[in-house]
Amino acid sequence: MPDHTPAPRHDALSWVAGSDAPEKNVLDLGFMALADSASLIVAATQGFAQPYGLTLNLRRQASWAGLRDKLVSGELDAAQMLYGQVYGTHLGIGSPATPMAILMGLNQNGQSINLSTALREAGVTSAEALREHTHHSGAKLTFAHTFPTGTHALWLYYWLAGHGIHPLADVNSVVVPPAQMVTHLRAGRIDGFCAGDPWGAHAVDEGLGFTIATSQSIWPDHPEKVLGVTREFVEQCPNSARALSMALLEASRFIDESPENRRSTAQLLSAAEFVNAPASTLEPRFLGHYQDGLGHAWLDAHPLRFFAEGAVNMPYLSDGIWFLTQFRRWGLLRDDPQYHELAGEVHQLALYREAAGALGIAVPESMRSSTLQDGKVWDGSDPAGYACSFELHALAERQSLAL
Amino acid sequence: MLRILLINDTAKKVGRLKSALTEAGFEVVDESGLTVDLPARVAAVRPDVILIDSESPGRDVMEQVCLLSRDQPHPIVMFTDEHDPGVMRQAIQSGVSAYIVEGIHAQRLQPILDVAMARFESDQALRAQLNARDQQMAERKRIELAKGLLMKMRQCNEEEAYTLMRRQAMSKQQKLIQVAEQIISMHEMLGN
Repeated sequence: MPDHTPAPRHDALSWVAGSDAPEKNVLDLGFMALADSASLIVAATQGFAQPYGLTLNLRRQASWAGLRDKLVSGELDAAQMLYGQVYGTHLGIGSPATPMAILMGLNQNGQSINLSTALREAGVTSAEALREHTHHSGAKLTFAHTFPTGTHALWLYYWLAGHGIHPLADVNSVVVPPAQMVTHLRAGRIDGFCAGDPWGAHAVDEGLGFTIATSQSIWPDHPEKVLGVTREFVEQCPNSARALSMALLEASRFIDESPENRRSTAQLLSAAEFVNAPASTLEPRFLGHYQDGLGHAWLDAHPLRFFAEGAVNMPYLSDGIWFLTQFRRWGLLRDDPQYHELAGEVHQLALYREAAGALGIAVPESMRSSTLQDGKVWDGSDPAGYACSFELHALAERQSLAL
Repeated sequence: MLRILLINDTAKKVGRLKSALTEAGFEVVDESGLTVDLPARVAAVRPDVILIDSESPGRDVMEQVCLLSRDQPHPIVMFTDEHDPGVMRQAIQSGVSAYIVEGIHAQRLQPILDVAMARFESDQALRAQLNARDQQMAERKRIELAKGLLMKMRQCNEEEAYTLMRRQAMSKQQKLIQVAEQIISMHEMLGN
């Protein structure tokens, strides 16, 4: 593919009128009240889409299930989605199967596992102590995540299992809407939760819980939210899809460009119609400042990020396949799927290459290698082998243990 | 007789829906407890049909109920049997989501859905049908104008002017177009 120089703004009107013109120029964009939705909100409100002939209408959603239903029915054109949720929808896990597409990654890092103050007072402030507690105290602990096929369920399962706690047998796992996590934690209805910011930071700031693990400690620079559309949309409106990707890439680049931009992004997001959380809770995480509620504060080497010269936005096939291996591991898939073929169908690599190329953003290889918390290396090469390589699993189950 | 579990966990009122369904001869259990207990309550009530506000955060909890019950005769998403986008869109727009137990024909759900769609107090605002392309071009011109003015005032280049405007807009929780309008009116006020 030829090298492209960044498209100058005054030439951008050619996008509006020419053969690359968007088939549809008003797009309804679904998002959830999370720090992760920054690039969508910045793109829609700060004039990043107009040069491509697009108007973006932000539509905040109350649930991931509702977001998916509206995307599938055409009420929404595109949406922020949990990585695993796209595959869950594509494969029909818990809903009708609808062919889906991933246009790009929206962010990496920035989720966390938090435990209750009661556990802290019982001395459970490390993974080892939690394992002891789980195996030797009578009552089963209850942990919340946000969606059955979502990233938080899988980070929680991976972390617990990595410390010898079977997530489907040794503890109860429940779904709780993210904004209700802290209330349930305070009331003692759950003992811990895994969710995205600002909810983890909120629990710590309010003194109602502490962070026992960040998601980036499980997998540094892990994939998280993606830009999801139906395959029907990408087939019918490829130019709109490309233009939307370019607007979001530019917004992502802008957010990560300087601390000032990150700070003002946090201020924008805190508004009632977006994330509706105090700027004082959002801002530190946008600047990489973390504290765990146990007296440790640090500048994270792998903070919530949106661009990193495009490394965040590349829809790596190996990232998608990882989620499939975990579906298999935990019994959401009873058999091994055609891992590579599936990812090749869902990830719109050609479209992403065009969008990034036109903006002069580097496009890395479609597979990447990562080392996770337990020292295991994931490079996408042997998904079936990887899926059954874990000591703790539910390969023979179909989530029947989970209640 | 079909037993309907009506989940009441949002600001929308389900009172009229409940009485309408009861009048139509259905057994209706009205639940307004905690979302986190939803799986337990579904297990206890054993409904044939579950109705929930499409805008309820509890939809994600129902998602887990459905997933866990795939191998058992428990509620499933209605759209699993009859994946008709028309019906689905209609239900979504009416603001009600329905789940039915496997084995119950979707036709039996239709009268329930008809009542629900008619009676559910939807507060969905009518979407303004603006001529979006015209508006977008107009906004773009205003932003260009403001950028030009700012470049002159601050002696900066195009990219710096955009960054200044965006930072200002974001820290005030405004759109770029709002800041552009402020720059233009300030410029007019100062007599160019």
